[in-house]
Amino acid sequence: MRGWITSRFMLIALVLALLVGAWNLYVAAHAHGMVTGQVVDATGRPVAGAVVHMFGRDFVSEQERGHVLSDSNGGFRFDSNASHVVQLQAEKAGQKSPRMTIRLWFRAQDVDLMKPLVLR
Amino acid sequence: MKATALRHMLMRHAVMLVVCAAMLVPFYWVVKTALTGENIYEYPPHLLPKDPHLFNFVDVWYLIPFPRYLLNSVIVAVLAVLGNVVFNAMAGYALIMPFLGRRAIQLLLLACMLVPFQATIIPAYLITARLGLLNSYLGLALPLLSTIVCIFIFKASFEAIPRTLIDAARMDGLGDVRILLRVMLPLSKPAVATNVILSFIWSWNNFLWPLLITRDVQMQTLPLGLARFLSYIEDTTGALYAFVVMVLVPGLAVFLLAQKDFIRGLTAGASKG
Repeated sequence: MRGWITSRFMLIALVLALLVGAWNLYVAAHAHGMVTGQVVDATGRPVAGAVVHMFGRDFVSEQERGHVLSDSNGGFRFDSNASHVVQLQAEKAGQKSPRMTIRLWFRAQDVDLMKPLVLR
Repeated sequence: MKATALRHMLMRHAVMLVVCAAMLVPFYWVVKTALTGENIYEYPPHLLPKDPHLFNFVDVWYLIPFPRYLLNSVIVAVLAVLGNVVFNAMAGYALIMPFLGRRAIQLLLLACMLVPFQATIIPAYLITARLGLLNSYLGLALPLLSTIVCIFIFKASFEAIPRTLIDAARMDGLGDVRILLRVMLPLSKPAVATNVILSFIWSWNNFLWPLLITRDVQMQTLPLGLARFLSYIEDTTGALYAFVVMVLVPGLAVFLLAQKDFIRGLTAGASKG
C-alpha cells in the first residue's frame, strides 16, 4: 500500500493537484477586473479628460465593453474587466492612440499597464 | 577491432539521431507554432520561435469550453481504462483455462479483430441507443470497455506465469476471482500498464464514436472540441496548435509514466521460461 502511495503516478498527480490549487488561489486573489494605466501626449505629458475605450473580442466580434475618462495625471482605471484579452484606445480632441492589446493570464486579472497610451 | 566496433556504434547512433530528429520535427513545429502564433506556411520558415509566449494556451482555455471537454475526455478515458483492465483480465484468465471450444473462441476473437470498427458502427449505435446510453459517459466509453488486442496481451502475460502457482493458490482455497486478483494481476504489471496506456490513448483520440453519439455540446470530448475549434478559427494560428498541444500532453504523460512496463507488456509472451 505504501509503495503505491509513493509511486510516481501518485506523486505526479499530487504535485499537479498542488500546482492547480496554488494557481487557483493566486487567481482568486488577483481577479478583480482592474485595469489601470496612463494617457500621455506625443511629448510624454499626461493628458487629462481623454476618453479611454475598452474593446473585447471573441471569435466573431469585437465590441466596446466600456469607457472611462483620464484624471488630471492622465491616469485611468477600469474596474469590471471580465475578459482575458482586451484592447484599449484613448482619444481626445481628434487625437487617438493606437489600439493597445492587453493579453492576460486569466479572466479579470488585475493589471497596471507598463506602457502609456500615447495620443497622436 | 575495437576501433571498428566503435565506428559502427557511432554510425548506428548517428543514424538513430537523424531518424529521431526527422520524427520529432513535426512535433517541434506544432509546439513552436503554439508558442508564437507564426503562420505555419510562412516562408522562409524560422527554425527558432520568435518572441515566444503562452497566451495562445490562455485563449484556448477561455474561447471554447476547454475545461468541460477535458473533464469529459478524462471521465471517458477513466471508464475505458477501468473496463479494459477488469474485463480483459477476466477474459485473458478464462482463455488460459482448459474448456471445450476454447480454440474456437480464440479464433472467433482473432477473426473479429479483422473487422474494422467502422463496419460495425451502425449495430453499435443501435445497441447503445437501445440501452439508453446515447449522449452519456458510459455510452461514450462502451465500445472501448474491452478490446481484443488487450485480451490477448493479458492472455500472453498469464500464460508466462507458472501453472504451479495457480494450482498452489487453488489448493490454498482461493477461488478464480481471488487467484486473478491476488496472483495473476500482481505478476502481470506490464500487461496492466499496456492495457492502461492503449485504452487511454484509444479513448483519448477517439473521434468518430463520440461524434455519432453525443448530441449535446456539453458532452463533447477533446477531439470533437478540436474539430469545433478548427471550424471557428483560421487553421494556421497559434491558438489551434496550442489546442493540439493541450490535447496531446495528457496522452504523452500517461505513456511516459508507464513506458517501461508498456514495452515489457508488449513483448511478454514472446518467450517463455
